[in-house]
Amino acid sequence: MMPNFSYIRPESLQEAITHLGSADARLHAGGTDLLPCLRDQVFDAKKVVSINGINDLRSIQETEDGSLRIGALTTITEVAENPLIRERYAALAQAAAEVASPQLRHQGTIGGNLCQKPRCWYYRGEFHCLRKGGKICYAKGGENQFHCIFGGKGCYIVHPSDTAPPLAAFAAKINIVGPKGKRTVEAAVFHVEPSKDVTRETVLEPAEIVTEILLPRPLQGLRSSYRKVRARQAWDFALAGVALVLQFQGNKVTKGRVVLCGAAPVPWRSYEVEKVVIGSALDDATISRAAAAAVKNAKPLEKNDYKIPLFQGMLEEELQKIKNG
Amino acid sequence: MKEEERDNYYVQGLAVPETPEPGAEPKPWSKTAIVGQARPRVDAYERVSGTAIYPSDYTFANMLYGAILRCPHPHARVKKIDISGARQIDGVHGVLADTTTGGDIRWPYVMQWPYEAEKISKLFDSHCRFEGDAVAAVAAATPCQAMDGVRAIKVDYEVLPFVADERQALKPDAAKVHDDSNQVNKQTYSRGNVEQGFGEADVVLEKTFRTACELHTPLELHGCVANWDGDRLTIWESTQGVYAIQSKVAELLGLPLSKVRVIGHYLGGAFGSKLQPGKYTVIAALLARQTGRPVKLFLAREETFLVVGNRPPANMTIKAGIKKDGTLTALEFTGIATGGAYPAGGMTLLDWLVRDLYTCPHVKTETTDAYINGGPARPFRAPGHPQCSWALEQIIDDLAVAIGMDPVELRFKNIPTVSQGREGTPPYTTTGLEECITKGAEAFGWQQARQRTAAGRKEKGHLKRGVGMGSCVWFAGGGGPPSTMIVKLFSDGSVNLNMGASDIGTGTKTIMAMVVAEELGIKPEMIQIEHGDTGTTQYATSSGGSKTVPTEAPTVRSATIEVKRQLLSMAAVDLAADPADLRYNGQYIEVAGAGSRKIKITDITKLKKRGVVVGVGYRGPNPENKVINPFGAQFCEVEVNIKTGEVRIVRFLGAHESGRVMNRLTFDNQVFGGITMGIGLGMTEFRVLDTNRTGKMVNRNWHDYKLPTALDVPADMISIAIEMPDSEANNTGA
Repeated sequence: MMPNFSYIRPESLQEAITHLGSADARLHAGGTDLLPCLRDQVFDAKKVVSINGINDLRSIQETEDGSLRIGALTTITEVAENPLIRERYAALAQAAAEVASPQLRHQGTIGGNLCQKPRCWYYRGEFHCLRKGGKICYAKGGENQFHCIFGGKGCYIVHPSDTAPPLAAFAAKINIVGPKGKRTVEAAVFHVEPSKDVTRETVLEPAEIVTEILLPRPLQGLRSSYRKVRARQAWDFALAGVALVLQFQGNKVTKGRVVLCGAAPVPWRSYEVEKVVIGSALDDATISRAAAAAVKNAKPLEKNDYKIPLFQGMLEEELQKIKNG
Repeated sequence: MKEEERDNYYVQGLAVPETPEPGAEPKPWSKTAIVGQARPRVDAYERVSGTAIYPSDYTFANMLYGAILRCPHPHARVKKIDISGARQIDGVHGVLADTTTGGDIRWPYVMQWPYEAEKISKLFDSHCRFEGDAVAAVAAATPCQAMDGVRAIKVDYEVLPFVADERQALKPDAAKVHDDSNQVNKQTYSRGNVEQGFGEADVVLEKTFRTACELHTPLELHGCVANWDGDRLTIWESTQGVYAIQSKVAELLGLPLSKVRVIGHYLGGAFGSKLQPGKYTVIAALLARQTGRPVKLFLAREETFLVVGNRPPANMTIKAGIKKDGTLTALEFTGIATGGAYPAGGMTLLDWLVRDLYTCPHVKTETTDAYINGGPARPFRAPGHPQCSWALEQIIDDLAVAIGMDPVELRFKNIPTVSQGREGTPPYTTTGLEECITKGAEAFGWQQARQRTAAGRKEKGHLKRGVGMGSCVWFAGGGGPPSTMIVKLFSDGSVNLNMGASDIGTGTKTIMAMVVAEELGIKPEMIQIEHGDTGTTQYATSSGGSKTVPTEAPTVRSATIEVKRQLLSMAAVDLAADPADLRYNGQYIEVAGAGSRKIKITDITKLKKRGVVVGVGYRGPNPENKVINPFGAQFCEVEVNIKTGEVRIVRFLGAHESGRVMNRLTFDNQVFGGITMGIGLGMTEFRVLDTNRTGKMVNRNWHDYKLPTALDVPADMISIAIEMPDSEANNTGA
């Protein structure tokens, strides 16, 4: 059951920031995550500030230097279907197309997809867990079949966003405005690991709003892909996933990033895989070594060690695919 | 109305079945004109357009909304409850608890079959033995106010040790759900001598299997609207059987049956979970009585995950012996299951397929039902069977591999004609298993698919395919008495069918209209059905167990024949003939052999005068010492990504012998629905209890509890009907 709250739909960012500064204010964009969180009493809201009236945030534009600007209110469907994104940033379009279900993609926004709350069933359920200000993480030693194998410390969620891993892999930047003005953050460091602060998922300060995502102009010879393995084929988050953004010269990988999904509390950059593949020809032996390296440092919990062979197998498959173009 | 329009009531040129002599039972139709067709549902428009009013759609002026305060712990004792806060919430009109007037009601959990067990609890039991058990309830002007009211009730719980896993529950140091042992019951069955059987075997295998707890989660939530008019209670409930609701509510509230009217016209899914009333039914009735206003109480989705039943988890060990020629020599089965915190049939029929599906001289089974601190089970599409199937069919496949025999051939070699699991091994009226396997394998292209996929597995690449099959028998399905039906033919020739049974989405109404149409020669759309109302329709057992059509269709046929007999007697007066010489011919009744001497049904003097002919039908008995069971065989092809373990179901085929197929569309619907739910059990669905720390259910929503979506079931799904004439089961052969 929903808490009682007041609802405001300002027409300017400045006004929105002011309202978000009041106690227990929550930002509303697509609402596909906010409303369930309120209903499940994950957190409370006294004021819901909808930014849907701010139309400037709703566009996909190519800039003069060839980079791409995606307004935070752009829907997931629009990202998935945009011809420029599909052509130049395939992994992002693929990831967007894999989000949830058609209804949720029509309603949900790219900004919201980055800022969504974890799906850990303890966090979402009637458990006063560490992330909600409690004393313990229930997943540790509990039902952790869908939890992380990297980066868990205190809290063992996986970050649920499909679009965050490709954005991090493409070295996208995120524009933010807040009470103190504008700032820009690398997508790769937008999310916060529990070891740094267990109560937050992003670097956003109170009353800050994600306004835009900037994708740099793609490099020559860049190939990208997104893969998502899940328990069911629609309306489900990743058990394991990977965004590959690799620059090729011939069959040699010269540059790139590998970001895992369903692996860690944040989109998880696999430096281990990058180290093996960058500078090498992507032959079978390299692929095999890269996939093994991906899980070498994994720390599975009691019920999720299936993720080790899963990530390894998935990486082998995806590296083979990207090698073949 | 013009006469030609009335002629339109009839299917022109239809050969109507003979009317049997008074007192004579009709034989099943040898040929049918309407029954067996693929016909859209009679209520398709209502269902699709949204005009169908489901119980959860009802609203009344002045209506209040009920909400239930539920225990958040798997095991706790209510030390103190303070309801005063709820009364102070705006809009709250009624509060009910064990301590309020009228709230102190007992709630029995009774198992009568296949074993007896009983625990008497209370509507609001201060000893809460599962998460979500009812502690108190509130009625308020809006759903939100009702929830606010619930939250304002203060409860002081003594949290008790719990056990949330049936495997732990039977250990001596496990927390006790009740004061005595956590073992509800242990049953054994034996025939022949398994030791001898294993001795005769060339190969003996033993394996352990587990199926997880599966939840019904029908689209329409569980609940009702209750209203009192003086001392008469009316309940609109989402139910599989209005009479089952009536009897339990009347018993618990101490009311005569006649004063409890239960109406349930539509139902948005149940799968066995709405065969009985819930506490919500009685709570709604009590809140309505307390407030003097109608009360609507439908559970929230999350509540339904906790308290309205499940398919119990099962742990099964199976040992099987076989000769090299494919003859099964012995089967030994041990199963541990749980129906939750109260007697609820945790192990019901868990061993049935081992006992009955394949010919086997030496069989021994032992099944144990354990209490855990979990929501009580409710019947769920063939209780026990899918669990047992998971174990039995896999060991049979392993045996086939071990002796190097095709799994289809192995099953084929062990097809019974008698029900070995029953006392006295009575024969089945029809054993369709052989034909299901043969025709299914042929339609599926089993041999070719086996060879193709085996060859494919040797090729490079990480997507490998395989095929598999399994067969089944369902323990029930033959239907039987009681059932009473009334068919009314009006003076214009249109018909009203009065049926107590519910149409739970399987197309019961459509099939019954087709039966009337078949007998009277009237178009099914001219038949209006009144059903699912204890105030106006006749006693019927709940719709479920695949027994609704074989129970109700023969009764409808009898009632319709009764109408025809009366029409013949009436027409005999007009035609000045002996009724025995008359033939009912749809639109006319004519003198046999003298087609010119005839009278239109609508011209029959007595019918015009009386305005209606009423035919009453009763369900006759089933044949003695015969078993009426449906059989089936299912085949599927899957693709496995051997790098990631992902499984894609490529295609599925079900060949089912279910008696006469009354309506091909609704039959196929049931097969496809069954396959889909089977895929859910096998692939994506499982309840997760936080076994170690809190005992609470963690995946109580449709995101975390994963029902298969349209993308998880193959588009290539085929249903094959194996129809075998059955002259013994009942007068329709259904």
